[in-house]
Amino acid sequence: MSPSVAVDIRERVKHIETMPSIPTVFLPLLELLNLPPERVKLDEVVELVSYDNTIAAQCLRVASSPLFGLAKSPESIKAAVISLGLRKVETILLTCCLGSAFPTQNWSLDPTVFWRHSLGCAMVCRKFSEKLATGDGDKAYMAGLLHDIGFIVNCIAFPKEFSAAVAHASKEQISFHEAESAVMGFTHCESGRALAEQWHLADDMIRVIAHHHAPEESDTAQPLIALVHLSDLLCRMRGMGYGYYERNKLDWVEDPSWSILLKEHRRLADVDLALFSFELDEAAVEVHELVSTIFGGKLRS
Amino acid sequence: MTSATIAVAPGRPGAPVDPVFRQIRDLVYKVCGIFQLEEKLYLMADACGRRMKQVGARTPREYWDLLTAHASREAELRQLLNEVTIGETCLFRSQPQIDALRKVILPELVQEKNKQVVKRLRIWSAGCSTGEEPYTLAMNMLEESDHLLKDWTIEILATDLNDRSVETAKAGIYGDYALRCTSEYFRRKYFTPAGEKKLEVRPEVKKLIAFSRLNLQDDSRMLFMKGMDLIFCCNVLIYFDGPSKGKVVNHYYSNLNFGGYFFLGTSESLLNLNDHFRLVHFPGTIAYWKPSLKSGKL
Repeated sequence: MSPSVAVDIRERVKHIETMPSIPTVFLPLLELLNLPPERVKLDEVVELVSYDNTIAAQCLRVASSPLFGLAKSPESIKAAVISLGLRKVETILLTCCLGSAFPTQNWSLDPTVFWRHSLGCAMVCRKFSEKLATGDGDKAYMAGLLHDIGFIVNCIAFPKEFSAAVAHASKEQISFHEAESAVMGFTHCESGRALAEQWHLADDMIRVIAHHHAPEESDTAQPLIALVHLSDLLCRMRGMGYGYYERNKLDWVEDPSWSILLKEHRRLADVDLALFSFELDEAAVEVHELVSTIFGGKLRS
Repeated sequence: MTSATIAVAPGRPGAPVDPVFRQIRDLVYKVCGIFQLEEKLYLMADACGRRMKQVGARTPREYWDLLTAHASREAELRQLLNEVTIGETCLFRSQPQIDALRKVILPELVQEKNKQVVKRLRIWSAGCSTGEEPYTLAMNMLEESDHLLKDWTIEILATDLNDRSVETAKAGIYGDYALRCTSEYFRRKYFTPAGEKKLEVRPEVKKLIAFSRLNLQDDSRMLFMKGMDLIFCCNVLIYFDGPSKGKVVNHYYSNLNFGGYFFLGTSESLLNLNDHFRLVHFPGTIAYWKPSLKSGKL
């Protein structure tokens, strides 16, 4: 991508009126939930969530769904937090927060498919990170959830060009980023980076968003980016992709991310990758249900 | 004891499943490499229920003890797997495998082998049972014969240990159950009516396949199965003990050409039986790859 295209993306991102603003509660919530569990104060979480009516209502709706198996619908956010446990609440909150930041009209992508992939990737990142004992599953989760936000920028800031790229991808059965490069001359990685910088996200997150298709090109945070890269591919291989067939082969050993991760985590060599992917099929069912509950309606595929 | 007192497993999707069945599921994976999804756990519970009746185990826990501590545990595990995989066979059983084959692997193999003088693809369905798998493969190859595989020779070898299965396979006559995943398009194009509610595979499909009886443990014959591009061996290895399984898989590795692929059943894994095969993913399915010579990391 030429420097002039990068400037153009930044300008467009800066100037569009409908550009999503990050929900007020999102960053403090993220900060709070990133603390070690023993230091998270329930009351603070509850207070933050209650701050935004839409999000609070959405959380209650999700918490009452059969998915979480509660005997009785929680009547307050506090009751929901207590009965569900922080981890599940975190998933619900962050997804609701991000989901509510973006209008769902006029998307070139089915928003439920988008969130299914993002949430799926977040879940895979956390599980993968647990397998490797990285000790930072929450960060990995966040990275997975945010890695593709550039698609939202493209939907809003470049609707015509992005629609053409989406059509090209599903017709040719290639990945979105290849299609974006061919049709638009840049990808969601660049536009996502512009949004992430505007939101002042942490540097690691910006790098994940900017480099998750080529972790080896980043100067820092390579292991985290490599983990997101492989999780993203794995999601697309196990039914949590973008709703069309991608003619793709994931050859772990050949992927540069494999070497990056292996250097950092020797445990990777012992992970039973076949079993891992079977386990993900189970988790995928949960992700499908969660996304349908949050966003309602039937998923397209 | 009457059968009413036997704790038979719940047999419907969504019903709570005794946690012991989850333990049994994990044991089956550890020993045989077959994984049962949580949502299909009731099938495993069902199969256990049938075995429990047979052996007179009163509770899932008692049956677990039989599978883990009893002298005949290996035999019982095999019996259980028999129950688990029973009736699974049908034509077009795994669409993700078919998609991977036609959309990703064939274009790759054709490109790789186009430089060779003889344009030939050799496919082996090892443990073909009553023929559903090789016929599915043959029909899909025929679908590509006007485009991707134009001017290519396709050879499909289909073998099974059981004589009767091989005879049934050769006849190629199937009822509704075996055809439950076969689309109208394929039924019309590749079958002819054969008596009440039965269809017979057309001769042009049969022509592509050579059926024979083969014991996968017969080393001398295994050595002759050379030059394969693809090997399918779905839910067969589960019947072998560890060392025999390892030996068969090593044979498969030698039987394959460089760049060839080996497919197991949909939820089946090779565990750590062979370090040379490389696990690769395609949408919805996994396969084992014998890396091509140009691939640096053999």
